[in-house]
Amino acid sequence: MSGQPKPLPADSVEAVQRALGAEHAALWVYSLVSAFLPPSFDAPLREGTTAHRARRDATERALAASGATPRPAEPGYRLPQPVTDQATAITSVVAAETDATVAWRAVLERTDDAELRRAALEALTNAAVRGTRWRKTGRIAPTFTAFPGKP
Amino acid sequence: MLRAGALAAVAAPLIASGCTDEPAAPPPPDPLADLAARARADAAAAQAVAGAAPELAAPAGEIARLRTEHAVALQAEVDRARPPSSAPSPAPPVAAPPNGRAHLLESLRIAEEQAAALVPTVPRHRAGLLGSVVAGCAGLREVFA
Repeated sequence: MSGQPKPLPADSVEAVQRALGAEHAALWVYSLVSAFLPPSFDAPLREGTTAHRARRDATERALAASGATPRPAEPGYRLPQPVTDQATAITSVVAAETDATVAWRAVLERTDDAELRRAALEALTNAAVRGTRWRKTGRIAPTFTAFPGKP
Repeated sequence: MLRAGALAAVAAPLIASGCTDEPAAPPPPDPLADLAARARADAAAAQAVAGAAPELAAPAGEIARLRTEHAVALQAEVDRARPPSSAPSPAPPVAAPPNGRAHLLESLRIAEEQAAALVPTVPRHRAGLLGSVVAGCAGLREVFA
């Protein structure tokens, strides 16, 4: 992720665009839910936001370096349920992290490029770990799944 | 030494091609077979820990369940790629390791590392499966960290 990003293989651009979409959506969700969570959630909110922002920026750079136009964020995203309290806030973050794992696993399956695979694996793993943490906090069962990112 | 080695390397294919009834060299072992075996061993160890330490029964039971799922999926992919002549031997029952919790967390870390090392080079469909195995182990470590 240092220096000038390497162009992406042409056949993986669409999957990477979708992963970028999942990063945009996750940032939107993290920003939306913060108003519904007490200050004790500041650290995990900040951590998730920082990670998704870094991933979004790196993904946009990689797409631009490949001659593709990174798709912009949507004005809003559909949630599993309206966010009205702490429980629905956590459910929404879990859903966003789950969507990110699915999108990044899809990238793994659509490229032979070792560097892109490493980045996708890191994104998938980190989203799975954060998702597990949020599930644990929200006492959402099951706390983990055997195959994060498997659609 | 170098010279002799180079000559041997050149000579070997000639000899092999001369003897057509020589059985073909066995294909290299499938790297996923190792991961599947490790997953079976992890599940067996977790089961032993769950039985020996009541306070660890719940988390160890979860590790056993997750690693069994990994073993089944990995073995299915190994068998798909190269249909087996016999079923893989199940992991033999093991004694509970001392320091069960640390042992299980370390096993998950190693499993994660081994699967991650293969991700850059395997065929695409395997990259997805291994990516999920890596993320599954990492997520599970987080539960009990």
